[in-house]
Amino acid sequence: MLRSNFKTATAALLATLLSGTAALADITILAWPGEPSESAFRKVLDLYNTTEGAKNNSKASVIYFSQQGFKEKMLADVAAGSKEFDVMLTATYDVGLYAPFMTPIDDIITEDVYKVVSKNSIETQKYEGKTYGIPTDLSLHFLYYRNDLIDQLNSDPAWKAKYEEISEKILGKKLSPKPADQWNWDDFIASALFFTKSINPDSPTRYGTVLQMKNLLYNIMLWQGTVASNGGDWRDKDGNITIDSPAYKRGLEIYKIITDNEATPGDSSTYEYGEANSVFGAGQVAFMLQWNAAVPEFNDATKYPAVAGKLGLSHEPAGSEGPKTHFHSLGLGINKNSDKQDEAKKFLSWLGSSDALTLYAKEGGSPPLAEGPLAVIAADRPEMALMGEHAAKYGFVMNGGTSAKALGIYTNQAENFTGYWTGEIEEDEAIANVTADMKKAFAP
Amino acid sequence: MIVTRRSRLDGVVHAGRWIVFVAVAILVNFPVLSTILTSFKTNADINAYPPKWIFEPTLEHYRAVLASPNIDYGHYILNSVIIATTGTLFAILLTLPAAYAMARHKIGTGWLLPVITNLRALPLIIFAIPFYFMYKQVGLLDTRLGLALISCIINIPVALVLFVGFVQDVPRELDDAARIDGASMWKTLWHVVLPLSRPVMLAVFLLSFIYSWNEFLFGLILTTKSAVPVTVGATFFVTSRGIEWGPTSAAITLGILPPLILGLFAYPYIGKSMLAGAVKG
Amino acid sequence: MSDATSFEQQQRASARVLLVPLCLFMAALLGFPTLINLWYSFSDVSFQNLVGSFVGLDNYVAALSNPKMWQALGFSLKFAVLCTVIEVAAALVLVFILHPLLVKRPWMTAILMLPMMVSPALMGVMYRLILNEFTGPIPVYLEMMGYGVNFLGRGNIYKTIVAIEVLQWTPFAFLILLTARQTISYELEEAAAVDGATGFRSSFHILLPLMIPALVIVLFVRFIDSFRVFDHIYVLTGGGPGNLTTSISIYIYKLFFVQHTLGEAVAVSILLLLMSLALIASAMRLVVRRS
Repeated sequence: MLRSNFKTATAALLATLLSGTAALADITILAWPGEPSESAFRKVLDLYNTTEGAKNNSKASVIYFSQQGFKEKMLADVAAGSKEFDVMLTATYDVGLYAPFMTPIDDIITEDVYKVVSKNSIETQKYEGKTYGIPTDLSLHFLYYRNDLIDQLNSDPAWKAKYEEISEKILGKKLSPKPADQWNWDDFIASALFFTKSINPDSPTRYGTVLQMKNLLYNIMLWQGTVASNGGDWRDKDGNITIDSPAYKRGLEIYKIITDNEATPGDSSTYEYGEANSVFGAGQVAFMLQWNAAVPEFNDATKYPAVAGKLGLSHEPAGSEGPKTHFHSLGLGINKNSDKQDEAKKFLSWLGSSDALTLYAKEGGSPPLAEGPLAVIAADRPEMALMGEHAAKYGFVMNGGTSAKALGIYTNQAENFTGYWTGEIEEDEAIANVTADMKKAFAP
Repeated sequence: MIVTRRSRLDGVVHAGRWIVFVAVAILVNFPVLSTILTSFKTNADINAYPPKWIFEPTLEHYRAVLASPNIDYGHYILNSVIIATTGTLFAILLTLPAAYAMARHKIGTGWLLPVITNLRALPLIIFAIPFYFMYKQVGLLDTRLGLALISCIINIPVALVLFVGFVQDVPRELDDAARIDGASMWKTLWHVVLPLSRPVMLAVFLLSFIYSWNEFLFGLILTTKSAVPVTVGATFFVTSRGIEWGPTSAAITLGILPPLILGLFAYPYIGKSMLAGAVKG
Repeated sequence: MSDATSFEQQQRASARVLLVPLCLFMAALLGFPTLINLWYSFSDVSFQNLVGSFVGLDNYVAALSNPKMWQALGFSLKFAVLCTVIEVAAALVLVFILHPLLVKRPWMTAILMLPMMVSPALMGVMYRLILNEFTGPIPVYLEMMGYGVNFLGRGNIYKTIVAIEVLQWTPFAFLILLTARQTISYELEEAAAVDGATGFRSSFHILLPLMIPALVIVLFVRFIDSFRVFDHIYVLTGGGPGNLTTSISIYIYKLFFVQHTLGEAVAVSILLLLMSLALIASAMRLVVRRS
């Protein structure tokens, strides 16, 4: 009795273990995690599965993974020949790294696609002349600020006086408040100090700003506008590493001053995208540098009542070269090892349609739309026009920032620069480490 | 006179012991307690200042977690249940016969037993990389079976120690009687040893299940989609979105509850399995 | 006589068969990876070229000459020593305070044991919630009392991860020592209690030596477990800021998955394996000599 029960149980267990493979024509997409694009993308898939997908007898589903370690895991998986996903993430800064494991999709980039997606964004999905992804999101940075607070700073004489006093005391020069779109980095720092309670007890927010300083490569992308706006770059025209330039030192200094004066939350060294949104959304800081993806979140009054309706957006503060922003596009391409190349291609070519991408934009994604569809969703997503404009006017890519080595370089910078900001290592040491690593990476 | 002073002193000491107990119990259990409470609070109560300890409970976050379209949490829980159960069964099947041979016939006690019991001391990360490639070759990446084999390895040392101790305690006469009846060694094992082993089997099962459930490193490295265990799945909630306290707490609560409940019964065996290794090994 | 011997031999032979499944399993799942490890540590394997070719000792040289390896090793050693000492000391004191209480009410022990049932990774996530500067209950209460503390801030992060480890695993040390304490026979306890007047100290003197085997085990196990720490640090800090909280396990993980220097990652693994084996061997010799 016991024995036969045991046998049945074992058999059932083994059956469960071994079963569970999906139906043949279903495709799986490994996409970039993070709200609100995650929810928006799901709506897009629903549309596919009920329309085009149903026609093709194919169903698309999506998997996400923790943002921490995402790229690492994806690389290990594709290198190991994984077939767990058919469609995978591409990004401007690592298309070279993943290209060997992907199928080029130039045959589906037709004239129709160019009517939907901006031409230059498709360029950012290319490596050695071949296109690897349909761009789904344009990523760049805005200065997010609280309208109400910055307006008051510019109109209230008492605040103004206090601001001048604080800037003189801590920065050694008397600065006056300015509207956010006229800020340079000194104004950024001074405002961060002003809106910090420990420095200015009358501040309505606990901290001035929130910096993302977890040891994570994306945090370096977010930071490096400070460098580029002062003319800094990874390498000069001859390929020499220029991390020890004054522009880099200034960029490092901007974060360091804010950190040392505790004008960013004390836990910032463990913060990434999500934490920063929580802090800004809860009304604990007056402004922050953040990825454009967060904009739709802050218009949701039920989620972030403290900020909704008071959100101001501007380009990043200016350096000697004016304002700059890092930019790249994320896209979706095909895993070379997938058995479902045709289904995946069909899906991607549908994804490049106006139906798919305007829905995605309406629901909170940030696709780099061409002018036609952009006009359609302008009412829903006013900041999307701004994104196109900013990318064209202020966008930069570091010299070498699309090479196969870029990801590793960002990672190394993250390790060393976050170490410097938190006081673990000296500036010289951080710069020397990064320079050495980059020399090795770019060695012929 | 002396007696009363003495007993009064005893009373004070006794009260002191209670105070220490309560303080330590709260201190070590605070995160679990706080997380479970948070999982039943409405969003308004979560943000209340000062924090509320008494409130009207809600199940909305559990609903949100289990019905989430983005994260298939029910699937992660099922994965963990299957991985932990299978891994535990494998470990029992492999170690019970071996323990019998070791305890009764002193085979392998010289080096095999010590080597296996000390495997626990190896940092598992050193096997992570070859496992990744090995699993890729044989198609075990991102499968429950793959992770079950890992949890089996993790549990073999504890299971073996407990079983060896158990067999040593089974009176030899019972074996001998069966042997005189002409029973083979397998039969003796099946008919004599196995029926007696129910208590130790329970101990092994509880400990193995808890250890398997809580494994994180291999779950992180070897899974993508199908076999993601709950320990890894719960971390998805934190890293990629603004911090959603309610659902995250509910997800964690679901992830820690099974070992927590089993732990109420399993804890005495943990002490015994550790000390048995030293006394008898 | 000779009949009995041959029977015994026959028995031993068939008993050997009982060991075969276990041995095969261990050889396949641990022996084979170790061999792969060895080959990789001598080759220039990469994600683009998974076979690689022989490069001699290059990976070992790279591994040993990387200051970050020594930094991570140093972190793990220091972390393990610190946590083990605090945990075992706290547990020992608690055993002597709480034993009289728990011996009459064993169920109460279960309450103290709960933390060790929780997955360390999820424990890390929980602390990420309750230590959050803005909404975590602990910082909020401290704030109300006038102390602003950033537990995850740069000055405190090290102390915080040590505290988390200690709070989760002191119960384990406590449990082992309590079990040992409870197996001490009643007569010995009586003997200890004879000195009545100086109760606590003398019972400490008499009982402590009897608990030394258990103490050795606890020290060993806790040291090993803390030394290889990965889960809660990975979840809380990812090894940062900078490399401040990079343990040797996290270091290997990063070398492999983040830096993609596969050969070097495996070389560090092999070195770690050798270190562990040396430690285990010496620990075993200690145990053998004692018995």
